[in-house]
Amino acid sequence: MLMSVGSVFFASASGSVQLGWSEWLAAIQDSSSQHGELIWRLRLPRAMAAWVVGSMLAMSGCLMQVLLRNPLADPYVLGVSGGAAFATLLGMVFGVAVAFLPWLAILGALISILIVFGLARGTGPWSGTRLLLTGVVTASGWAALISLILSLSPDNSLRGMLFWLMGDLSYATLPVWSLAVLAGSFILTLGLARSLNVLAMGETTARLLGEPTRHMLWLVYLLASILTATAVSIAGSIGFVGLIVPHLMRLLVGSDHRILIPAATLFGGLFLVFSDTLARTVLSPQQLPVGVITALLGVPLFLLLLNRARLKGV
Amino acid sequence: MTSLACQSLDVSIAGKKICSKLELALEPGQLWGLLGPNGIGKTTLLKCMAGLSAPDSGSVLLENQAIDKLPRRLIARLMGMLQQHTVYVFDASVLETAMTGRHPHLSYWEREGPQDKQKALDAILAVDLAGFESRSVTRLSGGEARRLAFASLIVQEPVILLLDEPTNHLDMKHQIRIMNHVEMQVASQQRCAMIALHDVNLAARYCSHILMLLGNGEWQAGPINELLTQENLEKLYQCPVESVQTSAGKRFLPGG
Repeated sequence: MLMSVGSVFFASASGSVQLGWSEWLAAIQDSSSQHGELIWRLRLPRAMAAWVVGSMLAMSGCLMQVLLRNPLADPYVLGVSGGAAFATLLGMVFGVAVAFLPWLAILGALISILIVFGLARGTGPWSGTRLLLTGVVTASGWAALISLILSLSPDNSLRGMLFWLMGDLSYATLPVWSLAVLAGSFILTLGLARSLNVLAMGETTARLLGEPTRHMLWLVYLLASILTATAVSIAGSIGFVGLIVPHLMRLLVGSDHRILIPAATLFGGLFLVFSDTLARTVLSPQQLPVGVITALLGVPLFLLLLNRARLKGV
Repeated sequence: MTSLACQSLDVSIAGKKICSKLELALEPGQLWGLLGPNGIGKTTLLKCMAGLSAPDSGSVLLENQAIDKLPRRLIARLMGMLQQHTVYVFDASVLETAMTGRHPHLSYWEREGPQDKQKALDAILAVDLAGFESRSVTRLSGGEARRLAFASLIVQEPVILLLDEPTNHLDMKHQIRIMNHVEMQVASQQRCAMIALHDVNLAARYCSHILMLLGNGEWQAGPINELLTQENLEKLYQCPVESVQTSAGKRFLPGG
């Protein structure tokens, strides 16, 4: 598993200017050389951003699947990314500086989280269905607003917006606090891992086994939402990572969250770094939005898995 | 000490009274049968006794403390409930699922130790699922899933067992096996159980006490030899019942 993290950084050594291992080694030791600058200033930060975003989405996907008790849920299903996307696009329209866009994304995501949380909360017992419906409807509301912005904005800014919507790491920088979010959530989630196993068996069962489920499920919701919001603020809405990675890992290591969460976190990072490297190299020097790659990899993979599940009779 | 008590308990569902002013005390060593026609509210009453839903009025006392004031983890160490339906959505192995019964006994970061695993293996053996340990729970038959849910409950080691139709989906051999297990736990470890049943004869064979829900909030509770009579059953199920004397005691057949 640790090998996969290590290999991530090596994989990120390739790009439109292809470096051999010796060149790469020389470059990494001399950060002032041309190649050194390329690696230290451009590729390594980007690869790290990709790794962090991938890990966050994968972890968030695991949490959402438990929350909605559905192995096919993904981090975006409850509208967190919609809110972030709307706020960011609005910022782009009004020419807000690029550096502030992630903060707008966070703000939009938080607003969306609060809307869904407030409306789905109610007074009665926990209702996964109500949360799902509220989330899905909120998400489609955001989608409508996003379409509105796209149709009204001038042609020259459309390209940037579309890239962002598809998920793009070109301008991604890695804020230090996002590492803290990732590390904090990871530790917290691991501590809750056995509770997640129990929650996955249904709310009543979990309560009978001693879980204060209402608090726990809201905690899971908030945790998943914060992870998604952070990921979206860094790289836009990259699809399929949060769906495919937890699913694949379930097949590989089983459903025990004490193993599943670390596995998904590691593989999520690896998967996104790999996809982003592809996005940079397939048509180089032309760069593709990484969301297109994850979708192109993810859709067939997902259909395959679904088909397998159908054959198994799920 | 009384393990579980209901004091002046009023429970209703959708405006329909299930029991009014129910007074009940489950003592260690007692095995209660909960009898009543379909839809009379047996499950709702059990859920209320498990603290999963609040009564209209009155209180449920778990070892003399109001259950709604106790944290769930503490409740789960004392009381376990087998639900009427068990649906497993996520792939997990039979062993992992049986082991979830240890959940209330472990702290957040704690892992199950060899003893916990042994308990799970013993329970799997007790419900006749040995050899299925690594099978996925999504690939069990209805009866197997039912027995696995019961195994998780054994692993939980509660002092009070609430069982909602534990013999559903089970063949005769496994019905007896599970009821024997409950009887053994109640007798040898001074636990107590409340079991919702449709099979009057299983109640006659195993239970020491019964609670009958008659509708409109009416109920009757007491030792089985006083209450389980032909007249009471005819009143309870609103159909003719025939009583037969067997070597094991009185048994009941639908009359005609």
